[in-house]
Amino acid sequence: MATMRKKTQVSFVIRDEEERRHKNGVSSLQLDPIQGRLYSAGRDGIIRVWHTGGGTQDRYIQSMEHHTDWVNDIVLCCGGKNLISASSDTTVKVWNAPKGFCMSTLRTHKDYVRTLAYAKDKEQVASAGLDRAIFLWDVNTLTALTASNNTVTTSSLVGNKESIYSLAMNPPGTILVSGSTEKVLRVWDPRNCSRLMKLKGHADNVKALVVSRDGSQCVSGSSDGTIKLWSLSQQRCVSTIRVHSEAVWALLATENFTHIISGGRDRLVIITELRDPDNFMIVCEETAPILKLCFTADQQSVWVATSDSDIRCWKLPPLNSLHSDMYNQNNYNTNNVYQTQPQHHIAGGRAIKHYTVLNGKRHILTKDTANNVVLYDVLKACKVEDLGEVDYEEEVKKRFKMIYVPNWFNVDLKTGMLTIHLGQDETDCFSAWVSAKEAGLTTEMDQKVNFGALLLQALLEHWSHPNRVNEGGQKVIGNNFFNVPLHTPLIFSEVGGRTLYRLQVGDAGGETESNLLMETVPSWVVDVAIEMAAPKLNKLPFYLLPHSSCQSKQDRQKKDRLVANDFIQCRKVAEHVVEKIVGGGDVNGASAGKNSEDSVNDSPEERVELLCCDQVLDPNMDLRTVRHFIWKSSVEFTLHYRVLKQ
Amino acid sequence: MSICQDLGLNFQQRMGANISQLERDIGSEQFPPNEHYFGLVNFGNTCYSNSVLQALYFCRPFREKVLEYKAKNKRTKETLLTCLADLFYSIATQKKKVGSIAPKKFIARLRKEKEEFDNYMQQDAHEFLNFLINHINEIILAERNQSTLKLQKTDGTKEGVTCNGTLPQSQNSDPTWVHEIFQGTLTSETRCLNCETVSSKDEHFFDLQVDVDQNTSITHCLKCFSDTETLCNDNKFKCDNCSSYQEAQKRMRVKKLPLILALHLKRFKYMEQYNRHIKVSHRVVFPLELRLFNTIDVPQSDDAVNPDRLYDLVAVVVHCGSGPNRGHYISIVKSHGFWLLFDDDMVDKIDASAIEDFYGLTSDIQKSSETGYILFYQSRDASC
Repeated sequence: MATMRKKTQVSFVIRDEEERRHKNGVSSLQLDPIQGRLYSAGRDGIIRVWHTGGGTQDRYIQSMEHHTDWVNDIVLCCGGKNLISASSDTTVKVWNAPKGFCMSTLRTHKDYVRTLAYAKDKEQVASAGLDRAIFLWDVNTLTALTASNNTVTTSSLVGNKESIYSLAMNPPGTILVSGSTEKVLRVWDPRNCSRLMKLKGHADNVKALVVSRDGSQCVSGSSDGTIKLWSLSQQRCVSTIRVHSEAVWALLATENFTHIISGGRDRLVIITELRDPDNFMIVCEETAPILKLCFTADQQSVWVATSDSDIRCWKLPPLNSLHSDMYNQNNYNTNNVYQTQPQHHIAGGRAIKHYTVLNGKRHILTKDTANNVVLYDVLKACKVEDLGEVDYEEEVKKRFKMIYVPNWFNVDLKTGMLTIHLGQDETDCFSAWVSAKEAGLTTEMDQKVNFGALLLQALLEHWSHPNRVNEGGQKVIGNNFFNVPLHTPLIFSEVGGRTLYRLQVGDAGGETESNLLMETVPSWVVDVAIEMAAPKLNKLPFYLLPHSSCQSKQDRQKKDRLVANDFIQCRKVAEHVVEKIVGGGDVNGASAGKNSEDSVNDSPEERVELLCCDQVLDPNMDLRTVRHFIWKSSVEFTLHYRVLKQ
Repeated sequence: MSICQDLGLNFQQRMGANISQLERDIGSEQFPPNEHYFGLVNFGNTCYSNSVLQALYFCRPFREKVLEYKAKNKRTKETLLTCLADLFYSIATQKKKVGSIAPKKFIARLRKEKEEFDNYMQQDAHEFLNFLINHINEIILAERNQSTLKLQKTDGTKEGVTCNGTLPQSQNSDPTWVHEIFQGTLTSETRCLNCETVSSKDEHFFDLQVDVDQNTSITHCLKCFSDTETLCNDNKFKCDNCSSYQEAQKRMRVKKLPLILALHLKRFKYMEQYNRHIKVSHRVVFPLELRLFNTIDVPQSDDAVNPDRLYDLVAVVVHCGSGPNRGHYISIVKSHGFWLLFDDDMVDKIDASAIEDFYGLTSDIQKSSETGYILFYQSRDASC
């Protein structure tokens, strides 16, 4: 069990049921000119589909959700019937594009999949990424995969020595080029997987590539800030284009390979004539580094995706107007930028950039890219309050409470939304025991609940597990206190690594889902979420001594070493002092103070006060809080007591 | 203890013949005035300490500061630093010019200060050096804090938790003389390969730890030290800008050079198949003069120490044998223009050409060797 526990991590995402806007940067774009749809691959892990035509009304059609990390690249194939996506969750997914559901998941890559290439005439797709491998996929095979017939044979192109950041194929699939941190272009013939050549010239990572239809030419964009035109037939660099001031991350060639449109870190979209690079023009200036460029159906404009969540469409200048003389004469505006206003704009949402876990280890305060501050409840996997544009630091300060609860989860902002990873190893997901009353779950006194256990029970309450019965034979469901939203994505993964299974909380009841859960959910989760086993209590050892001011009365100079649950309040320790140490048979409160009214008048905290580091302790404060805020050390935790009245 | 004393006696007797030999080798006219060459008695595998102490004694700026501390500090309570100061003082004030001395008090204190050294086993000389320099620095800081605290009210909770392990670099206070002698600054620059944002961070060092390659030189090792490293696979970089783990390229460069540059050659490599550390005896040439190239220019800043600082080799701790917890440590030092070899209580004059014997082995087969392990280079423009 201990080993199981190490292997599988349980995570979930706190989000709205429908996220109509990209919450993070957009890595890739694909246009379906027939349907008039634009597909965008988000770093929020979601692929969204938009209407390209029509006016400025809402363009959103649907979301394609199944990835658990950044979607880095997409290609639309089979005439718009299928979409292939590549993600940092290390998978490649095959989608039914019109309906938007995931048909199959390919787990061949061992690290982030960064880039895809598509040979349209052959319906062949290549994928590559940080594991240095390139795999070739036959799309028609991929779309024919079923649950039972799910073996794919792929060809792989080997020889890359470093992480691959870019790929390109020509439509007939006779040439494949890869770009990597090795700073070279490697060229293959995908038909027989043979290596053709290695082209040196760039001084840094190669992040964008395009190949001409006939496979004789190639254009590369690099982090060294240059664009290079290569003759593959002559195996040499034909020209180096220096129009950008920073890294080039996106390239798009016109149909007959006469012009190249480029974008990158300097946020500029520039169009350059390949034959005469002196003829270039700045198309527009974006608000963030450019990640992807994609033509509109008429090729008169480009859709631009950036590391911001907005997607804009910009009109291109007429290709014959790039002549440098004309460019200099025609001052379109002071910055020599062709367009200052986009033709179309698909507004993006905001990514969470900062978070603070509040002391109670239940709520998280976040600040997003627009400085909006939001309060979330991790336990119920939901948003609590949108505070608007307020002072984040101030709000954090305002919510400070002097209580200490152990960490039981980790927060991840990679998608721009809150992904919560339940703790493993040193951060134990079952470490937080709290009073159910203080958590606002019940009015009953003295009931203790475990945050991690409650949450796991809620996350898996729809799973029809056969063991879901208690001793009385009754079905036990959930945690009796609350539910989490049904749309909450629940993710099982290898710790710090690859996703094993993702589903929505509300779907766990399905037969397929139940079976997959049986295979995936580790036993430590089943024990708590299904068998309702109570997690272990955290014991906290401490020493109890009489305070120096009343030491003379007591002869107990030996340190009393005690062990208690870490959430025990000081009141309980005071009770212990009254009962066991100061005792005194003449006081009626000594008999545990169960019913006598005297004990109310003469409560333990009125008779004995506790001190730590010479500070008198509030009877409501629990031991772990005293240790954390007052003792401030993990060793030799010592409390003193002082008798007030005998 | 009685065994040790007996041993000491034996050694001293054996020294008898050696003393005159060393004096004869140097020649009475050439023998530097006010200099003493005293071996250190071995208390059972304490050569790791002896070799480092001799090397430090012949790092002149360090010796002078220790003696200055001895002169200034009227004995309060015994620390490793007071023991070291007493030892150095005792060597420096010997009537005889050569001989040997038993660092009894220092070793006893060392064994009290750190559990790892409280035995008769061979220790890693570099670990000892690292501990000693950090510990001395902490003592100085603690004493400084105490003297300032005396003016204020004492804080009751801080008792007994003064120095434990490595304290964070003290940013609050001025540098100590240990900082002034040994501390340099490294800058690590990390570039995220996704967003290509470069972040840099300064860190201080007391010594540089370099990997060793076969048939190379220290200059090569230092160049490799500054080579770009790619953070990838399970070791990705958490990029603040990307809010996620991404590949990154990292390189380390020296921003500020120390007065005395201590170079630790990583000769003990952990081999998984043997489940222990194996000695790497590769031949690495260390020049008598060293100029560093992997430094960065900070044009506007005056305190960025001259990047072309020229260094002279002043001392080498040599490891003899096949593993970190076996074998023997000796040291060779330069004093007044000639070279001396200290082997516990024995001191010999050697030719500068003999230093070549400690570069390492060109053959990979032989595991046991006598190789330079810690090199001490002193800046030529050092004031002393």
